[in-house]
Amino acid sequence: MTESKPILPKTVGLWTRPDSPKFVNAQNIFDYMDGAGELYIGYRFDHLEYYEYKAKSQEDILVEIYFMKTSDDAFGLLSLDWGGEPVDLSQPSQEKASTISAHWPRALYGEGLLRLWSDNIYARVMAYQETPESKQAVLALGHSISKDRRNPPRPDLMKNLPDSFEPNWAIRRDRASYFRSHLVLNSIYYLGQENMLDLDHTSESLTAPYERTDSSGDKTRIRFLLVKHSDNERARNALAHFHRVYLPEHPLQIKSGYSEKTVNVYPIEDGWMGYKLQNNIIAFIFECPDQETARTIINQIWLYTIQKKEV
Amino acid sequence: MSHKGKSLTRRDFLRGTLGATLGASVLGTKFVTAGGSAASKSLVTIVRDQNAMDASNNVNSGVLKTMLDQTLIKFTGKPTAKDAWLSLVKPEDTIGLVPTPHLNPTHQEVTDAVKNSLIAAGIPEGKILNAQGGPDKPEACTALIGLPALKAHWLTGIGTVMKLYILYSGKPSYYHDQNNAKLGEIWNLPCCKGKTRLVLVDSLHPLCDKGPQVNPTYKWAYNGLIAGTDSVAVDTVCLRIIMEKRKLMKGEPWPLSPPPLCVEAADKDYGLGTSNWDNIKVENYGWEEELLLG
Repeated sequence: MTESKPILPKTVGLWTRPDSPKFVNAQNIFDYMDGAGELYIGYRFDHLEYYEYKAKSQEDILVEIYFMKTSDDAFGLLSLDWGGEPVDLSQPSQEKASTISAHWPRALYGEGLLRLWSDNIYARVMAYQETPESKQAVLALGHSISKDRRNPPRPDLMKNLPDSFEPNWAIRRDRASYFRSHLVLNSIYYLGQENMLDLDHTSESLTAPYERTDSSGDKTRIRFLLVKHSDNERARNALAHFHRVYLPEHPLQIKSGYSEKTVNVYPIEDGWMGYKLQNNIIAFIFECPDQETARTIINQIWLYTIQKKEV
Repeated sequence: MSHKGKSLTRRDFLRGTLGATLGASVLGTKFVTAGGSAASKSLVTIVRDQNAMDASNNVNSGVLKTMLDQTLIKFTGKPTAKDAWLSLVKPEDTIGLVPTPHLNPTHQEVTDAVKNSLIAAGIPEGKILNAQGGPDKPEACTALIGLPALKAHWLTGIGTVMKLYILYSGKPSYYHDQNNAKLGEIWNLPCCKGKTRLVLVDSLHPLCDKGPQVNPTYKWAYNGLIAGTDSVAVDTVCLRIIMEKRKLMKGEPWPLSPPPLCVEAADKDYGLGTSNWDNIKVENYGWEEELLLG
């Protein structure tokens, strides 16, 4: 395995690319994609290289290869949308991969668009017109992009995402996301206008909903959010900032530590929310049906996150 | 809803202090309405034809022309498309057409159809400009026809009508995320205030997820044209269609995030029109399957 640049075929099926790609960096990304550039800048973006494959009497295929500074950032981009059909690009035949409920796919295909994570690369390969031929070409290009590249594991922080909470809450993996920017957080779960958690490139966060799984058919959901700052002081300041903006009617009494008593829980408009600070990590739970659920779950998060593995 | 100077949070929406349109869009609940008299309602027309695009989503220009004519006639109540245009613009106007330039852009066929229809109504071709771009574009015009494409947007929630003039501000990134509520102020800039004669939304092939880049999974063939002169009412109808499609697609609530603050703020803070569903009269013609009006 190497970390070299992908070598894309000059011709794939009916389509042929130009000799060299076009380059986009942080300075001109908005010229290329308008406000969409904010998404990539919200992660640790290095540069983008793109090709337009053309064929006679066929719509183009656009290949965009985003070179991110870390594998975690490339994973984060894929994690924003788990929709589509998982594909296994490690096999030349691009056989169907297992579904997201079983594993976290590295590539997803739907209606002409392939999105993939390969080490520090996030790529989008899009046929403007989906046909059997264009699908084959798109998947072949995906295979070329990921060929002979490392497959690092998901970000360490993602390992702190439990599959379930007792007694009957199961993760919705198809809505679990990893990010560093409050703009991205707001596009997933709107908390407020301000960057009240002080998120930036030095921080990392994940969020996922959990759904009640009992036999009642009640699909009540709660929302889990975990924020890791670069040091303890930043985490404490970020939590104080959050509390001032989000819970202004409650006195700021940030308690930290491992004990059950250190959970901060509050009734708000959509149920109970809670948070807990330990060192440089803040865990939040939102929309719990009652105080006990909020307290119980956040303690489970903590057992899973801290006691299972010191992050 | 005025929120100026206050940092809005999710809790403001949950309390309902920001009004019906926003609460509905964020929380996925039903639009709450308050009564309005029939006489004061803003008319929004929806004309759809199942054959506006073929199976490969290529636009049928003949069908589109018929849909445009029908839109103009039904919206204005005039007997012909020519009469309709002449009730909206003057022959001496310099008319700017304003299509959506990026992320699910307005179909060129829609812009061409409007231009050709205006020429057929007697407007000289040289007096019809493309007015999308910086503030100099609307300054050169005495009338504007908004031609946005129907789409969600990852920084503003909805990216259809209110966002259409963002480049007229000269500082588009200022209006992303928390400032999307201020998009309405652009419509009151001297370069464009009061110039919009019609908003005609290209809803042939909308995008119901926010992007930021197009994912074809979230596009669908609505095959429609949505029109009105109340830009806020048109955006309110567009918002409902997007929300209904999202719910239908996922089979569960799928709220827009960030919330499309711009729609209700355009009403309450900038006085550009109504976002109150009860004050909007929607008339639909043609294909009725999945109309998505709730």
